[in-house]
Amino acid sequence: MMDETKYARLNGYKDMCGISDPNLPQVLKPAGGSVKRALRIFIVTMVVLLALFLRLRAVERLPIDYDEDDYLRAAQQFATAIQSGNWGAFTQLNYRPEHPPLSKIINGFAIAPLPPAPEIPDLPTTAPPASSLPEPHLTIARLVEATQGVLQVLILALVNPLAALFLAINTWHIKYTSQVMLEALPSLTSLVAVAAYVKSNGKWNRWLLLSAVALGLTAASKYMYCIVAIAIVAHWVLAKPPAGSETCGRFLAPLLLWGVIALGVFFAADPYLWLDPINRLRDSVVYHIGYAESQHVRDAGYPMWQPLAWLAGSVPWHPGVFLISVDVLVSLLAIAGFRRLWQKQNVYALWLIFGLGFLLLWPTKWPQYILMLSVPGALAAADGFQAIAWEPLRDWFARVRANGLHFRRERISWRETRRALPWLVPGLVTLALITLFPLVFQTAMALTDLNTISLRDGLSGGVWRAAWLGVTGQEPPVHIGIGPNGRVSVTVEVRDRGQVHLVSVADNPQSAKEVHYAGLEWFTRIFSGIGADILVFDVMWTILSVASQMGLGLVLALMLNRRGVRFGGLWQTIFILPWAIPEFVGVLVWLHVFEPTNGWLALALHTRIPWRDDPLLALIVLLISALWLGWPFMMLAATAGLKMIPAEVYDAAAVDGAGRLDQFRFVTLPLMLPLLTPALIIRSIFAFNQFYLFYVFAPPWPLFTFSTLSFLLLNSNTRMGGQYAFSAVVNVFTVIVLIVLLLWFNRRTQAVEGVTYA
Amino acid sequence: MRRMPLWQQIAYQLVFALVALFVLLPLWGLAQMAFDASIKGWPIDFRFLPKEFTLAVFRQAWEQPAQSRSFLGLLQNSFIASGGAMVLSVALGTSMAFAFARFRFPGRRPGLFALLFGTLLPPVALMTPLFVLLSALGVRTTLFGLVIVYTAFAMPFCVWNMRAAFQAVPKELEDAAFIDGADLFTAFWRVTLPLALPAIAVAALVAFLAGYSEFAMAWLFIDSSDNVTLAMAISGMIGATGASWNLLAALSILMAAPVALVFIVLQRYLLSRLLIGEVRD
Repeated sequence: MMDETKYARLNGYKDMCGISDPNLPQVLKPAGGSVKRALRIFIVTMVVLLALFLRLRAVERLPIDYDEDDYLRAAQQFATAIQSGNWGAFTQLNYRPEHPPLSKIINGFAIAPLPPAPEIPDLPTTAPPASSLPEPHLTIARLVEATQGVLQVLILALVNPLAALFLAINTWHIKYTSQVMLEALPSLTSLVAVAAYVKSNGKWNRWLLLSAVALGLTAASKYMYCIVAIAIVAHWVLAKPPAGSETCGRFLAPLLLWGVIALGVFFAADPYLWLDPINRLRDSVVYHIGYAESQHVRDAGYPMWQPLAWLAGSVPWHPGVFLISVDVLVSLLAIAGFRRLWQKQNVYALWLIFGLGFLLLWPTKWPQYILMLSVPGALAAADGFQAIAWEPLRDWFARVRANGLHFRRERISWRETRRALPWLVPGLVTLALITLFPLVFQTAMALTDLNTISLRDGLSGGVWRAAWLGVTGQEPPVHIGIGPNGRVSVTVEVRDRGQVHLVSVADNPQSAKEVHYAGLEWFTRIFSGIGADILVFDVMWTILSVASQMGLGLVLALMLNRRGVRFGGLWQTIFILPWAIPEFVGVLVWLHVFEPTNGWLALALHTRIPWRDDPLLALIVLLISALWLGWPFMMLAATAGLKMIPAEVYDAAAVDGAGRLDQFRFVTLPLMLPLLTPALIIRSIFAFNQFYLFYVFAPPWPLFTFSTLSFLLLNSNTRMGGQYAFSAVVNVFTVIVLIVLLLWFNRRTQAVEGVTYA
Repeated sequence: MRRMPLWQQIAYQLVFALVALFVLLPLWGLAQMAFDASIKGWPIDFRFLPKEFTLAVFRQAWEQPAQSRSFLGLLQNSFIASGGAMVLSVALGTSMAFAFARFRFPGRRPGLFALLFGTLLPPVALMTPLFVLLSALGVRTTLFGLVIVYTAFAMPFCVWNMRAAFQAVPKELEDAAFIDGADLFTAFWRVTLPLALPAIAVAALVAFLAGYSEFAMAWLFIDSSDNVTLAMAISGMIGATGASWNLLAALSILMAAPVALVFIVLQRYLLSRLLIGEVRD
């Protein structure tokens, strides 16, 4: 038997470990736990070693980035002060004062024992990366940063080893904790602040003290990471609503103490503030607001949802540095696992929500900011992995062990098969020729580098040859690089007197005319580049456009079908007009309305509507047009659903005293949902593949669907056209997404059986 | 029956009117240009009604719209390409759909899934290999090439939709025909096919429309002006310099009006056929 405190501690630990599964806590039971405990230690060690290895590799290989010169210069100044014993200078020094100095001070201590190097010149923050920086100062500072990054992985591994694995291989985390940036320390301390808060169980104890100290250190190294404070306060308030005034005081006291200590630590750890706290603090905060509005930020031209695009992909800039780049998969797992994280550990979920909300709203969209989310993201991904991979697999395995393998089989009659054959063959042969063979050919193409120049070779069997040679291992894959806006470079490794060179295929006329094997290069590269931008937009587009169409369609269907409404038939006939005319003409109609300078709206308002330069405005313009095109169909589907509900049900609901809202929620919606689901699925797939709207409107980058991207890559009249292999890769990706979606829907509902034309 | 209070009735009608405005206003915006003789190229000022009312734009659209082809010439190309695709998909699809509806054979279930998958495949997804393949066969730039492309897009849907229709025909009717001495083909031809004819007509309509309003793929494949279809001609004018928006509007109306009429007249019928697969497998 366990006594109560022990039990509570165990629960606390369980929460810390992110364990919700009742089967798992045996790990923690003393009896028989030693093996599992050793296993756990082994796993944690492996994860930490992996993190260390990846970061050391990055420290060695990453080129010098923006701002590294600035932060190393700041460290040099502290190092000089340390060497000369001039401790008073600490209150005056803080190069790049918009960021608090703690990270810079630590780097200063790290490089202080080294022989001093000439001070790095003072350049504006907008300057390009420095061409060279003093060594070994740079490497030492980078190593110190990387140590903090690895430490963070270790702490997360104590909370949840799987999440730590995801953090260890996160390319953004690797990059920005292996360069002289300011991210590693606050990222580490913000994790400590939250993890210690969770362990404190909301009472005043040493864990809460640790949390407060960590939060203060976070604030003293980079302000943005203090978003965890908001998450903690929100969690506190949500968890314990105050009942009376007396309990209210008791409830608030630890929180207040926590806040005061954090503030104190912040002030203590930020010597730059000691002499002139108010002004210097104000200046550094105000700077960020001004910077967010600056031309430099605006020139980057990132859309509001850019942080999502960073999260959907891997670091695109440094091919060859990161051995594993599966960030898109981890992000997908995080989406799948968010609900679980919310249910059992919602302080981490709150961290994710507030962090993401902040990043979406804050105008500056630099990629390093997403490090703020890497810990809760990794935790959500760990939950997602449990929910969609580990548990189904375990259940399936248990079932197989219990019942043996069973396949649902249809009774097959050979007599019927013989009779069916003559009916099937003509259609099957045609379909095989015009859809199946192209799909196979497309897959082969996606493994090569076929483009306009090598088209002749590709047509006379080059695609098959390259794919065959590659798959059978006789030819190594070429390297593919995808630049911004879809520019592609193909390079091969050439050995020359023991040295390996990368040679561009385009430079060699003979080689350029041949098709080469590219293997899975495309698929690994596409999500460290434009693929992530487009995936994020496409998914966002699908959700927003289908939701708006569904909303309007449902409301209008309910209104039209209300008893006693006049002229319902007449209105409905008007409303279905957009459904009745071909999509292409509907798109033209809206191009005429929205054209930036000569459109109806622009002429009516006597102003330009600059949506071709503004992603957010373009999104709104596209959404309105898509709403017009798509909502009538949703209205018709909803009407058909409403007609299937017998009137008696409503009478029964009315007798039970249900209001109109209750009627809708508990009667109408559940009864019509089975009919709406197929329409929703089909419309979602349609929206994901929407093409004509984007083709005619030509919105700015990255507002494309994958279909549009594939078309632009193929069409040799466009700037990025003529890249047949790339286009095929995008198509293969779309096909995979489609199959996964269909399988998923098929499992969830039989609704796919009804097919809609829209 | 409950009556609606008057104020509620008015509120409802107001909402309907607003939505109708959202639906009709943009359409009117395009349509009014077709009757305006004053527009050259892009419109340069805002008008709600045509400045110089005329029907001459329609005459021009009829006689020489674009690409030095007459309207009827363009329409003819459209009909060859999309009509050819329609005939191919329905003719080949009918027998296949019948087989899927009536017989159990190995691979039927995966086949059904593959058909559904093919139905939802975006047209672009097949385009890259078809482009390369048809180039290799030397038919890429012909209308026959377009027929093949459009068939590839439309056929899975035709099979899927007609299968549902065939399955809805009671098997007992065929059995009765067998007792009367009919063979399988006769039973199909005399009993099942006539009963499924409305559904087949809908599948044909959809197959036809898929090609009729398609232009992007066509522009990739076709490069001779003799083979330009109506939709291609219209889309080609969007970006072209010197193309006049009133002509564009007139052509769009000529192209869309017949389709819209068919949809509105048949709306209830089309919807029940298209929305719900009707038959659970």
